[in-house]
Amino acid sequence: MSAQRVSGIGRSAMVLLIIVLAVVAAFPLVWMVLSSLKTPQESMQVPPVWLPADPNLDAYGEVYGVIDAGRSMLNSAIIAVSATLGILVTSLMAGYAFAKYRFPFRNLVFALLISTMFLPPIVTLIPLYRMVSEMGLAGTLLGVVLPQLGNAFGIFLMRQFIAGVPDDLIDAARVDGASELRIVFTVVAPVIVPAIAALALFAFTFHWNTYLWPLTVLQGNTDNYPIVLSLGRLLSYNRGAMNTGLVMAGATLAVLPPLVLFVFLQKFFVDSMVGSGVKG
Amino acid sequence: MLGPAVLLIGIFILVPMVLTVWLSFHDWSSQTGFNAARFVGLRNYEDLFAPISVGRDFRRAFVNTAIYTGLSVIIMIPLSVLLGLLVHQREVRGGQFLRTVLFATYMVPMIAVALVWSKLYSPTEGPLNQILGWLGLGPQPWLSSPDTALYSLVVLNIWQQIGYFTVLTVAGLTQIPASLYEAARIDGANRIQSFFGVTLPLLRRTLLFSSVVAVINAVQVFEPVVLITQGGPAGSTNVLTYHIRRVGIERAQGGMGSAMAVAMMLALIVAVVAIFAFNRRGEEQ
Repeated sequence: MSAQRVSGIGRSAMVLLIIVLAVVAAFPLVWMVLSSLKTPQESMQVPPVWLPADPNLDAYGEVYGVIDAGRSMLNSAIIAVSATLGILVTSLMAGYAFAKYRFPFRNLVFALLISTMFLPPIVTLIPLYRMVSEMGLAGTLLGVVLPQLGNAFGIFLMRQFIAGVPDDLIDAARVDGASELRIVFTVVAPVIVPAIAALALFAFTFHWNTYLWPLTVLQGNTDNYPIVLSLGRLLSYNRGAMNTGLVMAGATLAVLPPLVLFVFLQKFFVDSMVGSGVKG
Repeated sequence: MLGPAVLLIGIFILVPMVLTVWLSFHDWSSQTGFNAARFVGLRNYEDLFAPISVGRDFRRAFVNTAIYTGLSVIIMIPLSVLLGLLVHQREVRGGQFLRTVLFATYMVPMIAVALVWSKLYSPTEGPLNQILGWLGLGPQPWLSSPDTALYSLVVLNIWQQIGYFTVLTVAGLTQIPASLYEAARIDGANRIQSFFGVTLPLLRRTLLFSSVVAVINAVQVFEPVVLITQGGPAGSTNVLTYHIRRVGIERAQGGMGSAMAVAMMLALIVAVVAIFAFNRRGEEQ
């Protein structure tokens, strides 16, 4: 529509619309941060006060009194980082095989793996919970992470990008006597760094945020709770308006890592969504 | 090369998928080993349709999930087109900024979103009713009434997910050649005509993909329910993921829960096929 210009009034209306929409979209997160800085009295006030008269970090201190927030953040980091690393390794290898090898039933196997991308986790939750329990991994971080290390989206994304890596490059490395594994990680991977970065960001954010599986497998072992699960304990600590500041402080802590990552690296996120084959 | 990925996805996704189907024909407590399962044929499925509380609760959860999913998709997809156009346009500044704000909400843990909105919705201390008051509208009960709780969760869902679908729409818009708009302009089409004549038809595949993903995401609604509403008030927000987990794991009725999971999966497949069929019919016209 760039060929057609809009009038001055139209332009003003559009600017206004963008501002209103951005304010509406940002409002809940802004409210979250503001509430975390209020005193308990301010949080309970009717009608609500928007700006804390005397912003303070007391609620954050209180969070550390109710849950072991440091431990929770560390658990979240362990889950998100190890899941991300595992997904990167398995996806690079499988993506390479699907992009560069010829073997029987290749398309069938690929389709079967990719179809798991669209499977809601609840469909497999009950037997998976039992299987992981029988492996003796209930309540452990390994039990949270292990089932997540193979990822269909990762394989899909890596195959898309590795397909564009020239065969000559790979053949040259083979002539030099490099093993296939070495080729994947030292020849192919460096060529597709932006795609790997995008996958890493998506995997990290997803596994930082994920809730259903850790809740099920950790079975109340609060020592191993990631921060998203510990937020539930903050809520039940003292129900009602009393704990608003406490809960909002905890939520702010949980939100920060993925949000900071996104703000600094959003170009990778958006480019990979545009470039990963989701095309009109 | 394929070993690790195939092994992991096979063991932790495909095997449990097959087990879910197998268990759905069995009476089985999820506190016991799989070998303790007792074959009962179709009885679990019969119970889902029977006029007993197991069936009634499941059907309620099914309908709630369907309403939640349908409303989410019907509102979100057109909204993503409107927002996508605003982000994509280059006539006024602020498009990129809007995209950043919208997509940021998508990166945030759903559990934090649920907590924040539960406070926003608070009938007395929450700001939403205060804002309604300024606009001269009456206060709403939001999550505290069976009539409005499910719709309140739809609003929350749309707020969290809209950034993702907006970015998908923008990706689709960038694929449309400028020459087509130029041609439409020469033919005397105004902006609205070129939207319906060029933009919308060429976004068709993007919107098909968006709709399917939106459905699959929406049927997974869980965090706001488990944390805030616990399925209430009066069962009005009892949804499938929450209900299946409660039956299959908390009440340990693994066979029954599996039958519910299979029924959910089948319904999801029907919904996705219906979206594709709807799209194809539109394409033929």
